[in-house]
Amino acid sequence: MSAFLSYVLHGIATGSSFALVASGLVIIYRVTRVVNLAQGTFAVFAAFMAATLLGAGLPHGAAEILAVLVAAILGLLAGVVAVGKRGTSPQASLIATLGFAIFCYALEILIWGDQPQSFPGLAGSFEYLELEFPKQYAVIVVVTLVVFALLEAFFEWTYVGKALTACASNPYAATLVGIGVVRMSLLGFMLGGALGGIAGVLIAPLSPMSYDSDLSLFVNGFASAILAGLKRPVFALAGGLVLGIVEALIAGYAKASYQSALALLLTLAILVVQAARRPALQGSEE
Amino acid sequence: MRTELYALLALLLGMVCLTGLGDESVLSLYVLFALAAIVTVGVSLLMGQAGQVSLGQGAFYACGAYTAGVLTTQGAPGLVGLLAAPLAAAALAIVIGIPLLLLRGHHLAFATLAAHLIFLSVVGEMTITGGDVGLQGIPRLRVGGFAFDSVRSYAYLSSLALLAVVIIARNILVSRPGRGLRALSTSEIAAASSGIPVALYKLAVFALSAAFAGLAGGIYAFYMGYLAPGSFPVLLSIEYLVMAAIGGLGTIAGGLIGSAVVLLLVHALSRLATMSGMPQTAPVILSYAVYAILLVAAVLFLPGGISSVITPAWERIFRRTRPGRGT
Repeated sequence: MSAFLSYVLHGIATGSSFALVASGLVIIYRVTRVVNLAQGTFAVFAAFMAATLLGAGLPHGAAEILAVLVAAILGLLAGVVAVGKRGTSPQASLIATLGFAIFCYALEILIWGDQPQSFPGLAGSFEYLELEFPKQYAVIVVVTLVVFALLEAFFEWTYVGKALTACASNPYAATLVGIGVVRMSLLGFMLGGALGGIAGVLIAPLSPMSYDSDLSLFVNGFASAILAGLKRPVFALAGGLVLGIVEALIAGYAKASYQSALALLLTLAILVVQAARRPALQGSEE
Repeated sequence: MRTELYALLALLLGMVCLTGLGDESVLSLYVLFALAAIVTVGVSLLMGQAGQVSLGQGAFYACGAYTAGVLTTQGAPGLVGLLAAPLAAAALAIVIGIPLLLLRGHHLAFATLAAHLIFLSVVGEMTITGGDVGLQGIPRLRVGGFAFDSVRSYAYLSSLALLAVVIIARNILVSRPGRGLRALSTSEIAAASSGIPVALYKLAVFALSAAFAGLAGGIYAFYMGYLAPGSFPVLLSIEYLVMAAIGGLGTIAGGLIGSAVVLLLVHALSRLATMSGMPQTAPVILSYAVYAILLVAAVLFLPGGISSVITPAWERIFRRTRPGRGT
């Protein structure tokens, strides 16, 4: 029983980071119809940045926030590459974000070398009924909840948030009422970069990250986003938690090396069932 | 028709010159080119003509390589292994294609990427494939009395395979199913209502591109003699995409040009990077940077790829007014 609980807790912590990556994907997808293949890159870049800043003597907190800001700028750059040129089709943008991600590989190896990096998070753990719960997990869960609450408030109560939603639902109508769709798209990418960055600085203390860790982050994040239907950031939170817990249980009871393969299989099954149930005439939209 | 013939002759001439005259280092680069071109022609057909994005082509390459490798290490004749490679890859494509091709656009891109990752983790767990350690001691290919044991012999073998692939792809492009594919890439609904069996054609072209990749993989297995899951990273799938996009999606010439340009550039840069005074990570950095810049530049500024620049010039040289499609 206590093993089960500790798997679930671990799943919630990793699932939160998936959810953060996923929410960035969802926000970018909603506004631009582009699946950002560079989403995992923001997390890796922010984690490396934070490790360097901490090494340079900055206190915890400041280093992480700075790293997240850098990730937001990186997101903006990805946006410029992907949607900055007028008339780029979503498929072309998808491939452009892939190109951006690969370019970041070169950049990361150039700056930090090709060895995995990590930095210490909040040390120690809570203990409750023989259960050990690392404090870093608590940090991850709390920060994730706060970020999602802020996101909801942003989309619900601010003009900019509303403008982003307007672009998502009908770019043409949004242009008519004076919303700059390209500017909103770039803002979406910036937000996505920041969210990816938050995920990165939160989970880097759990396990060292290497420059190509972005792939598994992207895959898990996208799987969560798809479980949520790529619609609202909050749904991505649910998707991420479900995926994180399922993976942790598979790793705990079956075999760790199967966890991502089985989770991917599950996601594929859900995707295919969704596609098969969708009437053919509506299908061409997605 | 005539220009196509000239193009084919030019290709043949290039192959003969390179395989006949090149030294060891040229030949090994040439084998890599021919294998990459075989896969890329398939990717180009799948993406450019049928409009299906695949980020998992490397999995079919790996499937072909492992089929050839496992069969021959288990004692089957080399020719059986080589012929089984494309068949196994096509069979895999049909099995996973039936559910996955229900998906479109970025969903399909993700699904094929996921399929690649799942394939790697399955191969890493199986004992018959050598698991994560890899499959060692694959015998060199022997057909009849002839042993393929030099780089030059593999250059001939891969040239033959490339030629076969180019001819098959060209004949499909100009056939009725080829036109059907182009139709369904613009609108599946319109294609279906004109009587094109959309699902069947998509599956067929998916399987065909997988068979191309499998064939290349089979040759690769004999050429290298050693296989491991690490030889087929996701980045391999992306490489083929880069080559196809740079050369020009949907054209055979694009597949050939793209793989040649990318390989030559990466090769030149890695020579530059291994010169004295460069840091140890320089080759990796440069090759990633080149892939990235080429990919973004091609997608944004040259959507038709290099072949969209070269083909009209080629047509002009041979005085053809109607722009041909599919050379």
